[in-house]
Amino acid sequence: MPESTVPTISAAGYFHTYSLVGLVAVVGVLFVTVAFTTGHLLRPMVPTREKMLTYECGVDPVGDGWAHTQIRYYVYSFLYVIFAVDAIYLFPWATVFAAPGFGGSTLVEMFVFLGFLAVGLLYAWKKGVLEWA
Amino acid sequence: MTALAAGAVQSVDWIAIAPPVIVAVTGLAVLIADLFVTPARKPLLGVISAAGLVLAGLALLPLLRGDRATFCVAGAPTQCSYVADHFTVVVQLLVIGGALLTVLLSMRDTRGLPAGEFWFLLLASASGAALLPASRDLATLIVALEVVSLPAFALVGLRRGDRLAGEAALKFFLSSVTATAVSLLGVSFVYAATGTLHLAAVATALAHGTGQLTVLARTGAMLTLVGFAFKLAVAPFHFWVPDTYAGAPVPVAAYLSVVSKTAGFAGLILLTVVAFRPYAHLWAPALAVLAALTMTTGNVAALRQRPGHPRSAVRLLAWSSIAQAGYLLVPIAAAGYRADPARDVGTTLSYALMYAVVNLGAFAVVVLVTGGGRSARLADHRALFATRPLAALALAFFLLCLAGLPPGIIGLFAKVAVFTSAVQAGLGWLAAVMAVNVVIALYYYLRWTGLLFARPESAPMITPTDDSGAGTLTAPSVARIPFPLATAIGLAALTGVALSGAPQLILRFATSTLF
Repeated sequence: MPESTVPTISAAGYFHTYSLVGLVAVVGVLFVTVAFTTGHLLRPMVPTREKMLTYECGVDPVGDGWAHTQIRYYVYSFLYVIFAVDAIYLFPWATVFAAPGFGGSTLVEMFVFLGFLAVGLLYAWKKGVLEWA
Repeated sequence: MTALAAGAVQSVDWIAIAPPVIVAVTGLAVLIADLFVTPARKPLLGVISAAGLVLAGLALLPLLRGDRATFCVAGAPTQCSYVADHFTVVVQLLVIGGALLTVLLSMRDTRGLPAGEFWFLLLASASGAALLPASRDLATLIVALEVVSLPAFALVGLRRGDRLAGEAALKFFLSSVTATAVSLLGVSFVYAATGTLHLAAVATALAHGTGQLTVLARTGAMLTLVGFAFKLAVAPFHFWVPDTYAGAPVPVAAYLSVVSKTAGFAGLILLTVVAFRPYAHLWAPALAVLAALTMTTGNVAALRQRPGHPRSAVRLLAWSSIAQAGYLLVPIAAAGYRADPARDVGTTLSYALMYAVVNLGAFAVVVLVTGGGRSARLADHRALFATRPLAALALAFFLLCLAGLPPGIIGLFAKVAVFTSAVQAGLGWLAAVMAVNVVIALYYYLRWTGLLFARPESAPMITPTDDSGAGTLTAPSVARIPFPLATAIGLAALTGVALSGAPQLILRFATSTLF
């Protein structure tokens, strides 16, 4: 074997280093628990009705806790994902298609792929998905 | 092209891959056409679909010699991902023919459904089914299987506002996705142990031994097969079938029971007989036990269907399809015990061909009787002979073929071929279990057949004046059989009769090598 500058770590030793991560997690949990318990024990407790209200930037809360939001743009995010995936394939293709040996058929292949996506977009358009209603 | 170009760009044998490609392109064309045609012209889409499938069937003709292969690894001409050998051509013929009959069955039934999407999904699924028997590497195999399944979920649940359809689609989806997950885990284990995805190369690697990864390889092979058993509704993984079939539109149930099931069996054959051949001592006994379990479960449950229950006809056919899957498994199990498995594979294929024709025919008559929103009860078939004598005779013939009784000679011969296969492999006990099952199945097939010729239950509204089909046209409750449906029943019946007259047409697969 060639001499290696990287010190070899055995598998057991490698997993041993994870004990540090575990220790940090334990310390984190302990810190939060101790801080909150101490605060709870030391502070005075004088609740009024106003103090029990939900805190909304200092303004009294209006309306119910449950509110519906219409997510109209989720369709667009779907369509965006399609084209993002499409771009993933376009980048490696763009690096090779001009190289010798690829040429015409590679160009056609990519347009076949884009054609499939275009069919999907055409379908969405004709079904009225792209109208902002 | 320069030599370099030939090396960089993979050459594709377009004739070899024509059948699945034509089906897929037709599907896309139908989807686009649906966006531009007026509602009045929607029936045209069904015609385009049928034409595409006929064209795909014709594209099989240049492949009859069975010596084409494409998508090969550079420098290794034996490692190809797509092989159009005789096995492939036979399964593709079955799948495309089955899809064509399904299209004919659906022509009238798609009125309540979004038509363009229905045809597109059906053709997309059929193109996957046509790709599956040709695939010779694990990745293509799984992808093809998913192309069969994913559109099928949507097809099952396509009927809007139908609670049963939604439930059916959900059950089908969950069980199928579980199956795929298990299969994929198995495939990844096999790949890790053997370092290849090509089926033949996997077999070589397994035969040479995988060293300390043997446990991994064995677990992988078993998990892959369990996934396929799920898809094929082999007991004890069959529970989703009756609910799914009953909730789906009847033609879709027919499609699932024939096309998607045959495609699954083609995949199972490729996996067991080609890829996991060195592990035959593991999978053959397991498949034999599963076959016995499956046919018994299917037949016993089919016995318990009550004629008056809603959708009992479809449920009966669903349980019967589970039982038939048990028979189809027998030769595959037998193949594991023999040095030359090609004949057993042929037996499975001839049984599958018989089952496809006959089962689609039976579903076609159920579609005819169910038409107009009735709930596909067995009781609706009572006295069918009095109102639609030809359809009743056809259904009786199909049921007798499924049962394996003499007028349906092809059913009998196919069953005998399966028996022979089991006995020759030394699986006497399995042959005995199958014999008992065939007798059990006689009861419910014959009860249904008897129902066709029974007297009408009470106050017959129609007095049969003439025993020909034309004579009943005067009766108000009997409409003309729609042309596509009549074609479907006629095609299935003609094929069944022709095969009964000349069983050697398909039984010769049982005596020849297909791979």
